[in-house]
Amino acid sequence: MKELIPNEILLGCAKQMLAEGHTVTLRVAGYSMRPLLEHRRDSVVLAAAEGCKLHDVVLAEIEPDHYVLHRVVALQGENVTLMGDGNLYGCEHCLRGDVVGVVTNFLRRGNDYGCDNRLVRCYVAVWLRMRTIRRWLLLGYRIQLKMGKLISGKKENLS
Amino acid sequence: MKTKNGFELRKVGDQRIIVAKGIENIDFGKIIAMNASSAYLWQQVEGKDFTPQMLADLLVEKYDVDPNLALEDSLALAESWQKAGIVEG
Repeated sequence: MKELIPNEILLGCAKQMLAEGHTVTLRVAGYSMRPLLEHRRDSVVLAAAEGCKLHDVVLAEIEPDHYVLHRVVALQGENVTLMGDGNLYGCEHCLRGDVVGVVTNFLRRGNDYGCDNRLVRCYVAVWLRMRTIRRWLLLGYRIQLKMGKLISGKKENLS
Repeated sequence: MKTKNGFELRKVGDQRIIVAKGIENIDFGKIIAMNASSAYLWQQVEGKDFTPQMLADLLVEKYDVDPNLALEDSLALAESWQKAGIVEG
């Protein structure tokens, strides 16, 4: 009788909770925020969006019941442009009012990093400057991830 | 067994979920989703002592289902509630 909740419903619930003043912890689904966040491994803590800033990672409802968790890459008045760290092309556009929540903490590999963490700020500064070679950096990241899985798989087989 | 205090059933859209009351952070990795029948049973027994047989009787009364099947479902449901830590006893 326990059901899996479809993502759009889950995020709709999160939107409601955020509007009520809660913070919410969401497991990341998808690969578009690589290399910062990994699908089903990492989570984020979101707070209600009271004025998002440039380079914040936000949860935004870009169309009715269609949410993305991406980084703010441009702000012009009420217009917000979003892009996933792991995306090579394509941005999403929405209004400030469509931003449902702002990420305050990244729970990465079980470690809790606040957005003000020095490592996180360094990553943001470096990653955004490397947009032209992002394709190759992501390729390297994917290879490293696969190698890691292969090695851990072999270790498990041996033990 | 008895439902634990501190949890509430909420309806968001068509979805029903059990969340901990009054906590600041809601961890969506830990919320419990319920379908219509389990949500109905939760509402009926919330704050009371109950047995799987009582859940089965409620199901038969509400949905006119076979009593044996209702008991089977109720036992499974009670077990899943216990595993989720939302009931005690």
